[in-house]
Parts: sequence; C-alpha cells; structure tokens
Amino acid sequence: MRILRFVARRLLQLIPVLLGVVVLTFLLVRVLPGDPIRSILGPNATEADAAAARARYGLDQSLWQQFLDYLRGLLTGDFGTSIQSGTPVGDELAVRLGPTFELVIIAVVIAVLLAIWLGIRSARRADRLGDHTVRVFSLIGNSIPEFWLGLVLVLVGYAALGWFPAPSGRVDPDTGLTPLTGADLLDAALTGNGPALASAAAHLVLPVLTLVIGILAPLVRSVRASALEVLHSEAYQAAAAHGLPERTLLRGYLTRAALVRLPSLAALVFGTAIGSTVLVEYVFSWQGFGQWALRGLLYRDYPVVQASVLIIALCYVLVFLIADVVHAMLDPRVRI
Amino acid sequence: MAAPVLVAGVRGGRFARSLIWTGSAILAVAVLAAVFAPLLSSWGATEIDPAGTLAAPGAGHLLGTDTNGMDVWSRVLHAARIDLGIAVVAVALAVVAGTLLGLLAGYLGGWIDDVLMRIVDIFQAFPTFILALAVAALLGDGFLNLALTIALVNAPAYARLVRAEVRTLRELPYVEAARTAGASTFGILWRHLLPNSLTPVRVLAPLNCGWAMLTLAGLSFLGLGITVPTAEWGSMISLGTSDVVAGRWWTSVPPGLALLVCVLGFSLLGEGLQERADAKRR
Repeated sequence: MRILRFVARRLLQLIPVLLGVVVLTFLLVRVLPGDPIRSILGPNATEADAAAARARYGLDQSLWQQFLDYLRGLLTGDFGTSIQSGTPVGDELAVRLGPTFELVIIAVVIAVLLAIWLGIRSARRADRLGDHTVRVFSLIGNSIPEFWLGLVLVLVGYAALGWFPAPSGRVDPDTGLTPLTGADLLDAALTGNGPALASAAAHLVLPVLTLVIGILAPLVRSVRASALEVLHSEAYQAAAAHGLPERTLLRGYLTRAALVRLPSLAALVFGTAIGSTVLVEYVFSWQGFGQWALRGLLYRDYPVVQASVLIIALCYVLVFLIADVVHAMLDPRVRI
Repeated sequence: MAAPVLVAGVRGGRFARSLIWTGSAILAVAVLAAVFAPLLSSWGATEIDPAGTLAAPGAGHLLGTDTNGMDVWSRVLHAARIDLGIAVVAVALAVVAGTLLGLLAGYLGGWIDDVLMRIVDIFQAFPTFILALAVAALLGDGFLNLALTIALVNAPAYARLVRAEVRTLRELPYVEAARTAGASTFGILWRHLLPNSLTPVRVLAPLNCGWAMLTLAGLSFLGLGITVPTAEWGSMISLGTSDVVAGRWWTSVPPGLALLVCVLGFSLLGEGLQERADAKRR
C-alpha cells in the first residue's frame, strides 16, 4: 500500500518535469539553425512552395498557437506528423522502439548478471591476480569508445572469422519475418518462425556484446565494493566462523548485499545505454529508435525531435522510479 | 580477515601512486606525440599521396593510407592535438563555470539555489551523450563550439558537487569565525570555501577529460563534430567504417586505439586520485 502511494506521488511529480521537457524541447528545436521545410523541398523550390509546405505543417502559425496544437495532440496521444516522411510520428515510433528496447534490455540484463558474478568473484579474491585482472579490464571497458568497439567486433566477427552476419540490419529479409512488436527475436518466437529466430539472434550478438562491454564496468565496480563491505563485516565473519555452508554465504550474504545497490545503478546504466544506442545502432544499421532520433535531429524534423526527446526523458524517469521501487522491496531498511 | 583491512591502507597508497604514475606517463606520451607530430611523421596530416588510396601499411606509410590517400599514422598523431585540446579546454570551462555556480548556490541558498538546482535537474534528466548531441546541433561545429558543447553538458555535475560540499562547509566553526571577524561574503567564498570544496572536483576532472574525449569522438563519428579533412580520431574512425566491413583494419583501428589509450590515461589518473582521497578519509 505504501509502495502504491509512493508510486502515485512520484508519478504526479513527473508531470512538471515532463512538462518542462516538452516546453524546452519545443522552443529549443525551433532555435536550432536550419529549416526543416528547406531540407525536404530541395534547392529549386520557390518561396511560394516553401510557404505552402510551411502551411501544410502548421509552421506558419504563431509560436503560441503551434505549441497549443502540439500540447492538445499530446494529450490525445498524437505526436504530430513527421516533416521528412509525412507519416504520423506515433506510427514511426511503434516500429522504432521495439528493436532498440530489445537491444538495450538484453544488454542490461546480461551486464547485470555478469557484473554480479564477476564482482563477487573479484571481491573474494581481493588484491590477488584474478581481482586485479577484473579491475584492469573494467578500467579499459570504461575507457573504450563504444562505436569503435562495435567496428572492431565487426572486423573480427564478420570480416575475419565470418561467424556473424554483416552489420546491415536486424534479421535476414529472406526469412520472411512478420513484424509485430519490432523486437525481432520476440516476433520470430511469437510467429514460430525458426529461421528468423536464428537470424535475429545471430544479428543481435555483436551489438549486444558492444553495449555489454560498454556498460559493464561501473556495475562490476559497485558489486565488488558492496561485496567487500560484507566480507569485512562482523556479521559475515561470524557466519563464516560458524561454518555456514558456502552456498548460504554466497547467496544469503554476498549476492543479497550486491543486489541492494544494483537497481539504481542498473537504471543509470540503462540511461547510458539509451545514449549509446545512437552510436551502436549507427554502426550496425539497426534502424531503431536511436538512428531515427538522430536523423530527426539532423534534418530538424521538429515533431520527431520533440517526440524522441520526450520518450527518452520518460524512459529515463520511469526506469529510475522502477529502480527505487525494486530497491525498497529488496531492502527493508528503505522507507518510501 | 581483519588484517587485510589494515594492510589495504598501505597497499592502497602504493596502488594509488602506481595508478597516478601510469596515467600521467600515458598522458605525457600523448602530449609529446601531439606536440612533435610533424617531426614524427613524414607526411602532413591532410597531405594526399597521389600514388594511392587505401594503401596497406608498409614502407611508404607506416599505417597505410585512408580512402582519401592520406597517411593514417600522421593523422593519428596530429589528431591528438584536436582531441586532447578540446577535451581539456571543455573540462576547464566546465570546472570554472560549475564551481562558480555551485559556490553561489551553496552559500547563498534561497531562491538562487532553487532556480540553479532545478536547471541542473533538467540537464540531468537526459543521458549525457543525448544532451551533447542536441547542444552540438544547436551550437554547430568548430573547436570552440564543441568545447562549449561539452563544457555545458558537464558543468552541472560540478555545480552539484561543489554545492553539496559548500553546504556542509559553510556550517563549520571556521567559516562562522571568519564571518564574525567581519570577512566579506566574497572573501569567505574565495579564501575559505573555494579551496576546501575543490577536493572532489580534482578527482572528477581527469575522469571527465576522458569522457569528454569519448563524447567529442562520438559526435565526430556521427558527423556533428570535427569533419574531414581535419585530423580527428572520431571522424577518422567514421571514414574507415566501410573499410572495416571489407576487412581493412588500418583506417579505423589505429585512431580508436589512440583514443582508448588516452582515455585510459585519464581514467587511471582519476582512479588513482580517487583511491588516494579515499585513503586519506579513512
């Protein structure tokens, strides 16, 4: 009950933040140098053509009127029409979000599991070779440019070894996959399309690996720190001295302590991963949300930029909210 | 189990020192390479070899040539000037601006604090790279604009850090003593609060330099930063993308490796400073 009230209060607090984001994006995108209309018309268009196109997208009206129209649309779930493609932004979003969420969620889950394993291992062998190796690798992982890492993985996994498909899409078009959610792995499973499932999985390996390496380091560091704290605690040492079985020590003490800090960190990492997808999708021609948002920004496609910024902010704050709730459920000391 | 804790302090000290030294050594080499780039390479950074494009590494070109027939080795060296330069200038700007705002917000409190911190909140409601993308689109490219972009994205972190520090410091007896003795607000801020609130800034700044380099290269990779023909690691990697798919490693791998090593230098330095600060606190 208390959790529900907490969630409700936090959701209410989100409204002014998101409204601020909406207003700010609306204004800033119009301050950007460049003109969305000129970018669709081409060099030979006359001033009259431009005026007609401007009227078609409502850009001839006062700023105030445009904002009210936009806000009214948002309240009914209408994100407007893309100036570049002429299709509703909501429809484009529906196609673009699935692939990106698939990528990010798989990467974050793998990274979290890997971090728990590596972090606890590292802490139990503190200041020995295994520990130093993990620490050095996490420093390198923290310093690696993700887009370059993606390219190196392509060089090794595709160009040299030929184990993985070329970085040009998410699934082999010959498998005839019917898109449902846009998350190809899920779609293939839902439609029972075996070849598409295999193809989608093969296409996922390199981009997921890129993201995992990019976000793993801070997670490992946090798990290692909390595990070290537990190892030095009197409670743990007493438990170990009493001869509690290894499994109980590992599950009941070390893993549990690591889990407490993990949700908020996973949320932070989720945000980083959303930022990274812009680069990683570009490398692998993923055609997801990141590439779509980037194109919108480059062509000054106002409705697309507004929608993508709002979606990113929404994801970010919601993920942090979920993290806080999970944290409270894992740790009875937390009062919310 | 108790002994290692005691030893960890000693070992932590030595460990911190080796981290700081390794990081500094890497950065020193990078700076030297940037300064003496023209002496270390026989080709200019934007000089085109009429004899061939995409030549494999060999006698004529240490690391081969790119699609434009420019020498990769020379460009990797020259790019250090731009990449290190922008990152350091950007972080310096962010530190100055962020620290000033944090000092004011933390010491004065009230509505100034509220307004500044709400702005910081909005900035931090986005993944930093996304924010950098948007600001870069707004300000445009070029050395100064990119430095400003990266500074703007990073400044809020310093503002928050310094503000938190000042808020605890300003309640301490020595500040109160200074106030009672008739020191001016400016004097208290400048002489007492500023020096003492800089400790966490000193740790964050090197880490931030590494991150700034990654951001700059990422922006350039997407075409929003430094563009060809100017030598810059991110745009070099971007130019080599199609080569990678074709199995030609030498256009994209070396600039990325150079970037990785420099960022690692900053990370080691920051990590070492962090470790040392932690050890002192204990």
